Amino acid sequence: MNKLIVTNNSLVFEKYCNHCGVIYLKDAGYLDVLYAVRDRIHQSYVLLTHPLAGSLKPNQTPYKSIIITRGEAGVDTDSVVLIENSIAAAQKFLRDRNTPSWSEKILGDFRTVDLSLIENAMQKRSFN
Amino acid sequence: MSKIKVVHYLNQFFAQIGGEEMADMEPELREGLIGPGIALQQALGADYEIVATVICGDNYFGSNLEEAQSRILELIKPYSPQLFVAGPAFNAGRYGVACGTIATAVEKEFGIPALTGMYVENPGVEMFKKDLYIIETANSAAGMRKAMPKIATLAKKLINGNEIDLPAEDGYHERGIRVNYFHDKRGSTRAVDMLLQKVKGEEYQTEYPMPFFDRVPPATPIIDMSKAKVAIVSSGGIVPLGNPDRIESSSATKFGKYDVTGMDRMSKDDFISIHGGYDTAYILEDPNLAIPLDVLREMEKEGQIGELANYFYSTTGTGTSVGNAEVFGTEIGKQLLADGVTAVILTST
Amino acid sequence: MKLELGKILIQDVQFGAKTEVVDRTLFVNKEEIIELVLEDDRLIGADVELARPGESVRIAPVKDVIEPRVKVTGGGVLFPGMINKVEQVGSGRTHALVGATVITCGRIVGFQEGLIDMSGPAAKYCPFSETNNVVLVIEPADNLETHDYETAGRLAGLKVAAYIGEAGKNIEPDEVVVYETKPLLEQALQYPDLPKIGYVHMLQSQGLLHDTYYYGVDAKQLVPTFMYPTEIMDGAIVSGNCVAPCDKVTTFHHLNNPIIEDLFARHGKDLNFMGVVLTNENVFLADKDRSSDMTAKLCEFFGFEGVIISEEGYGNPDTDLMMNCQKVSQKGIKVVLITDEFPGRDGKSQSLADTVDEADALVSCGNGNVIINFPPMEKVIGTLDFVETMIGGYEGSLKPDGSIEAELQIVIASTIANGYNKLAARGH
Repeated sequence: MNKLIVTNNSLVFEKYCNHCGVIYLKDAGYLDVLYAVRDRIHQSYVLLTHPLAGSLKPNQTPYKSIIITRGEAGVDTDSVVLIENSIAAAQKFLRDRNTPSWSEKILGDFRTVDLSLIENAMQKRSFN
Repeated sequence: MSKIKVVHYLNQFFAQIGGEEMADMEPELREGLIGPGIALQQALGADYEIVATVICGDNYFGSNLEEAQSRILELIKPYSPQLFVAGPAFNAGRYGVACGTIATAVEKEFGIPALTGMYVENPGVEMFKKDLYIIETANSAAGMRKAMPKIATLAKKLINGNEIDLPAEDGYHERGIRVNYFHDKRGSTRAVDMLLQKVKGEEYQTEYPMPFFDRVPPATPIIDMSKAKVAIVSSGGIVPLGNPDRIESSSATKFGKYDVTGMDRMSKDDFISIHGGYDTAYILEDPNLAIPLDVLREMEKEGQIGELANYFYSTTGTGTSVGNAEVFGTEIGKQLLADGVTAVILTST
Repeated sequence: MKLELGKILIQDVQFGAKTEVVDRTLFVNKEEIIELVLEDDRLIGADVELARPGESVRIAPVKDVIEPRVKVTGGGVLFPGMINKVEQVGSGRTHALVGATVITCGRIVGFQEGLIDMSGPAAKYCPFSETNNVVLVIEPADNLETHDYETAGRLAGLKVAAYIGEAGKNIEPDEVVVYETKPLLEQALQYPDLPKIGYVHMLQSQGLLHDTYYYGVDAKQLVPTFMYPTEIMDGAIVSGNCVAPCDKVTTFHHLNNPIIEDLFARHGKDLNFMGVVLTNENVFLADKDRSSDMTAKLCEFFGFEGVIISEEGYGNPDTDLMMNCQKVSQKGIKVVLITDEFPGRDGKSQSLADTVDEADALVSCGNGNVIINFPPMEKVIGTLDFVETMIGGYEGSLKPDGSIEAELQIVIASTIANGYNKLAARGH
């Protein structure tokens, strides 16, 4: 299965760009990553990881990485529902309060945790 | 101590100006109180004074949402109100939507408590309960006597900054705002209680009602569109000039069926939109934007679709109650099936 | 499997020359604790502070909370597979120092963990404002990698809790509670007329700072399995999850799982508590499919007529919660869910990130988005440096006088979704 990672986290990009497809949305926000994934779901990609993975709230961490894969022809409705619910949840938090402009040290921590979530997922050899 | 200044909103009917024939009446302000204002003043007591009453026709409000709001806000501004009460609207749909709209606007504009009252089935409840306190009333004006004291009690609490009690206690429609409190029992104990009730088939009450979506299962796909008979159904309020069925511009109570035999496209000389609440300028210029007759006729000619039904169904979406919409849908569906229609394109605005 | 849990009530904590329990007061030897912690060369600094109910003390940033316990008889040792060898636990006798805790505190990553206030208006949201706490403030070696620091901090807390727990080994408990679950077929026969009830315990398992361990196994690696309820009381499950303070299930809460306690309280009276199914909350959707299928299968196989399902966290776990609810319900088993809520600051949005029609019986543990004001405290254990980056904090949260304005989320275990607290939310 060809995995494609959509991310705005440079650590994820650096670690996986030679292993599988990575769409690196440099300087994009959390929601932008969700939108990019949504657009691909409508081009028959399927979600492999949960869009809200990580207990950090969407207005807390600026980083988000999601793994998708090309599915059968047509649109996977489960993925559509999940990404739309996730976008709605993220918008809810961001409407209340925007992600603060964190210091570089803290941004580094957020990148590490985001990478950690993806590492765990990428270690899986099989997921069907 | 000076009295708390109150402004009251009424429609043409409750202001005793007239019935449906006066529903197009534009906003007007009268000093002091009118009609139901007497009961409101009585319930509020001597520390409050209804300084002015604004009146607007339901149709005018529904068809000119933006303008009605800004004009009413202008009218009441000089009175610097401290409290705003609209209605109550009971089960009157258009009036309910108007009360909800203007109370929300007043609250936002002047930062003062604004409330209204409605019957549970009034579509205004669903539309505005998150924004406003809406007192639960009976379904007709016979409930005025009971409604006004409740409105007054809650209004006073809001004015005095008192804590608002649960919906059932203060008599308002639940707003869906999640508020914390400390229960007598811890959550796990409540879970065991609830589970035992559920297992025994007894009644139990969830602590978080899931959002209810009235999902309609999609119809089976059409394999061959070139054999399909297609019809258009719209909630965009497109009607023949003159609106022969008098479909309301909001909170519709009926739908219409209109003939397009021999037409290649929708002409602005034949059709208009009577839909309130959105900018109809483009649709008035080109009604094909709501009823895509032009494109469908081409597809019919090219054989992409088997046949286009020579009519469309139309009603107004805004403020229309789910109950009415269900009735419309069921009836339209029956008629379409009887006419051999196999595919429907639903257009909204 | 049968466990006698001896509860030794602790009403005060003091430093002393010897770590011991005397007349309901826990004395701890500070130097011995520090020495124990610094055995791990990944940690270069450690300090011990005490925090008692009612004191003007704020603790931050809190990583884990652990109740000191000791295995008196029966097989195995506390926290198997973590600080001790892997051996079956849950039988025999265990003593607990009820009313005392070990709290680990220190910076793990910039946004981690949360607050505990020992007094003032925020204290009522946190169960640890009512306990006598031995607070371990740890400091990592320079450039210690984040994962390693997380591990070192987790183990330090467990070791100190086990060390302090030893003080209760030869004390006569104030109360002994006996918990017993028989093998499945016998258990079913013991109360044939009572409804067979199970508990589906969802373990947080998303990645760094989102992990839980069962006999030392990372819960990510689990396929759903059966657990005797008493195993958890001996530390079979350990929390490694630091994020989202409010709904964090600390190791203390695993040891004192309220659902297990309340099901035992009704066991043989109006229900037959059959046991626990453990499952996880992985980020991979295929894992969710597999785990929820197996959870439903196990619930069916064990003959449960009703189950309670609890989750840990928000967002991703909501999907597991709903999938479990749906699939277990479809087996004809009645389901009650426990969760906390995040409906946004105005309380008007959807509380959960996912929903299914079957989720018709839900217990609420409160709205974590509510804004709370925390007055200044005379003493801060740890540091307030990270308040604004914690979940629930934001720019401007920390005021110059040391007071804090933040969402309830920032308080440890304030809306914990296993029903430990009395806090709930309702519709207005």
